[in-house]
Amino acid sequence: MSLVNFTTREITCKIVYYGPGRSGKTTNLQYIYDQVPPERRGRMVSLATQTDRTLFFDFLPLDLGTISGFTTKFQLYTVPGQVYYNATRKLVLHGADGVVFVADSQIRQLDENLESLQNLQVNLLEQRIDVRTLPLVFQYNKQGLPRELVLPVEELDDAMNFRGVPSFGADALTGNGVFETLRSVSELVLRKLSEEPSA
Amino acid sequence: MTRMYAVDPWVEKPLEAFVVEAGARLALLMTPAGQVIAQYGFTRAVDVMAAAALGAAIVASTGEIAKLLDEPTFSVLNHQGKRHGILLAGFDTPRGRMVCLAVYGPDSTPGLVQLFFEEFSRDVRDACPETEAPKQVLAADFERELNESLSALFRT
Repeated sequence: MSLVNFTTREITCKIVYYGPGRSGKTTNLQYIYDQVPPERRGRMVSLATQTDRTLFFDFLPLDLGTISGFTTKFQLYTVPGQVYYNATRKLVLHGADGVVFVADSQIRQLDENLESLQNLQVNLLEQRIDVRTLPLVFQYNKQGLPRELVLPVEELDDAMNFRGVPSFGADALTGNGVFETLRSVSELVLRKLSEEPSA
Repeated sequence: MTRMYAVDPWVEKPLEAFVVEAGARLALLMTPAGQVIAQYGFTRAVDVMAAAALGAAIVASTGEIAKLLDEPTFSVLNHQGKRHGILLAGFDTPRGRMVCLAVYGPDSTPGLVQLFFEEFSRDVRDACPETEAPKQVLAADFERELNESLSALFRT
């Protein structure tokens, strides 16, 4: 849940990048880290295995600047995508204000995407979060691979995006679609915050 | 530089007293999700945002291990290094669970920090109001400023 400091007029929101293993969640954060000016970002923390697979999470704090008189900060997290890390995935998801679901566009990864999406819904329900009200954006990553290997955005939308939330084709390695995704989820999170009074 | 930052003013007095009396370098009070509610002490000693995220993760994961062992939640975790030690602890308040991360140097001890942490958690519980009147956060027409901020951030 967003943290609002009325004394210093600061808002802090948590955005979680979710999705199956090797879909490109960490690559999204690495690209953002590389592109954002140093004064607008903090240290990127990665808890990874020796083979650079996410073990617990990656963490990247961003300073969006002033919006409606509030200094607005986002904390970006990734979850470990591998199936057997569900316990840690739940912990990272706790308190999320918005979720980016990073799907792997490769045809052979469709089942993994669906399994991960189902897992997201189960984990949200366990935390009594209604997936219909949570700001959610889909990113279909690896669209830069040869056409015969990947599903087009429209087909991936048909397979996963039942709610018709914003979705973006992306190639996180080159940065294509990375900022569009972050921009979209940022807008959804802040719009939700503007619509409901802070407790 | 010693610095106080607090989302709510009621936490300032107990936090300052804790840091001073325990001889800590820095103390963070945060939500279980790792968002900093208050901080006091030498903030240059550590990257506050990263420390909060990591501290919350440690408390959350040890809490889950406690569940697996059918134990009540482990209340306090202490690590003592050569130059610095940390105390990590979760406790309940009228506003829900909170997590404290205290960093201390050789001029304090784990026992001393833990002793004053107990007092601090009691003081926070006593000072913490149950609810807060709702306040409007963002104007409905914030989109223009958001777009400007995002454009500046992403250099688009």
